[in-house]
Amino acid sequence: MQAEVGIIRLDLLFEFFSGIIALMVTYYASKAYSLTGQKRLSDLSTGFLVLSAGMFGRVIGTLYFLIRQPSEAIFAIVTIAYGCSRIMAYILFAIATRRSPIHKEEQLPSQSGVGLMLLTTFLVDPSLEVVAILVLVVVVLQSILNYMTTRSKFARYVLIGFFLLLLSHIFMAQVGRNGGLYLLSQASQFLGFLSFLVMLIQAGKEE
Amino acid sequence: MSRKRPYRSKMRILADMMRAIQSEGEEGAGPTKILYAANLSHDRLTQYIEELLEKELITEVDPDSNNRTYFLTEKGREFLREFIRVERFSEAFGIEI
Repeated sequence: MQAEVGIIRLDLLFEFFSGIIALMVTYYASKAYSLTGQKRLSDLSTGFLVLSAGMFGRVIGTLYFLIRQPSEAIFAIVTIAYGCSRIMAYILFAIATRRSPIHKEEQLPSQSGVGLMLLTTFLVDPSLEVVAILVLVVVVLQSILNYMTTRSKFARYVLIGFFLLLLSHIFMAQVGRNGGLYLLSQASQFLGFLSFLVMLIQAGKEE
Repeated sequence: MSRKRPYRSKMRILADMMRAIQSEGEEGAGPTKILYAANLSHDRLTQYIEELLEKELITEVDPDSNNRTYFLTEKGREFLREFIRVERFSEAFGIEI
């Protein structure tokens, strides 16, 4: 029991700090949007804001549930709301990081089809974790293409960040079979956000 | 086969002009230098220089002579530093600005 509580607390700590990093990215993306007027930066900012709101909601909700035993309905609503907020954020990331029209000839031929397929899956698939994985696969693929094009260290940090987020959802989807993957999933998510933080620090440094 | 030039936002054009001025250091940059470095037409150059002057991002020396020279102001240097940070951030996510 002690160990379980310990894992839960560590999980909340990871989630809380990941939420703070997500807020920092939100702030930076909205600042960049106000300077450039580039709509995709606004989408990125909204995505990270939704993600951080979901994370803080989960931390507060879990703490509340530890004190007061919730009804199954409330528990289900919070779980679905958290899952949906993440998927919404990932869809916004997929939109924000999509390739520009001038690079169309370099795109994977089925990329826009994949996007539509994902939205359809969102409507019919009850497993939010699987949907999150599918959307994140698109985001990671776009990040790989971006890194291959720019070869910049900043793009590499973002690729690592999204890849670790994807890994965390893959672990989470298998928690039913192996409970030990839960903490691994949270740690993977936290490391992903640390990668975003390193990118922010490096990008903000003077030459 | 020629590569299509990527779209440049107005903000990027202004930053390219300011980079051209900054690269000349203490001597400042003349209109021709800025025109070539930022790859602009003469009309566009005049329009954007007016805008940079209005926003006090650059200053003009000898405006009435043929040796007009432009320098970055402190506000201009700070703008350029901020633009470089934003450029790196956007590039990290594959967003063109």
